[in-house]
Amino acid sequence: MNEEYSQEVLDLYEKLNEQAESYGYHLNPDKETTLFLVDGLYRNGERYGYMLCPCRMGEGDRDKDLDIICPCDYRDADLEEFDQCY
Amino acid sequence: MEEYLEIVEGDKKEHELMLFALSTCGWCRKARNFLDGNSFAYRYVYVDLLEGDAQKEVFEEVKRRNPRKTFPTLVVDDDEVIAGFNEDRYSEALL
Repeated sequence: MNEEYSQEVLDLYEKLNEQAESYGYHLNPDKETTLFLVDGLYRNGERYGYMLCPCRMGEGDRDKDLDIICPCDYRDADLEEFDQCY
Repeated sequence: MEEYLEIVEGDKKEHELMLFALSTCGWCRKARNFLDGNSFAYRYVYVDLLEGDAQKEVFEEVKRRNPRKTFPTLVVDDDEVIAGFNEDRYSEALL
C-alpha cells in the first residue's frame, strides 16, 4: 500500500520516534501501520487541538480527555497485556 | 442506530458482524482489511465521523457493549464482543 503522507506527518513520526526511544519505548516497526496511527494523531491534533489517541473516542474537551491524550494513561497496561498499545 | 451503519457485501454471511471503528485508528483499518480480505459481509460505522446526537447515540452503544471503550469493537451475532484487533482472535471467532 503506497500511501502519501504530508511532510507534517512524516516530521511528527520522526519526533515521536526520537521521544519514544529516549524514554525506552519503541514505535511499532511496521512503519506503514505506525504512519497511519501518526496520521491519526496529527488529524486529531488539528481537530481537537491536542493529540488524542487515534483509537479512542474523545469528548472534545481537553480536561475530560486528559487520560487519552497520547501517550495515554492506558499505554503501559496495554503494553503489559498485549505487547502493544491500542 | 441501525441507520448509521454502512453495509459491506461479502460471501461469508454466517455471522452477523457489526464493527464500531474510528477513521483515525490503524487497528480499525486492520480489522476492516481482515474482514474485507476474508470476504465477510458486515456493517460498520466510523463513530468519530458522526456528529451531535448521532455520535452520542452510537458511542453509548459502544460503551454498553465494551465498557473499556476501545476501538475497534466488533460485535458478533449481537452477543460476543471482540475489543481491539487481534488477528488470531478474529480468526478463532470467525474462520
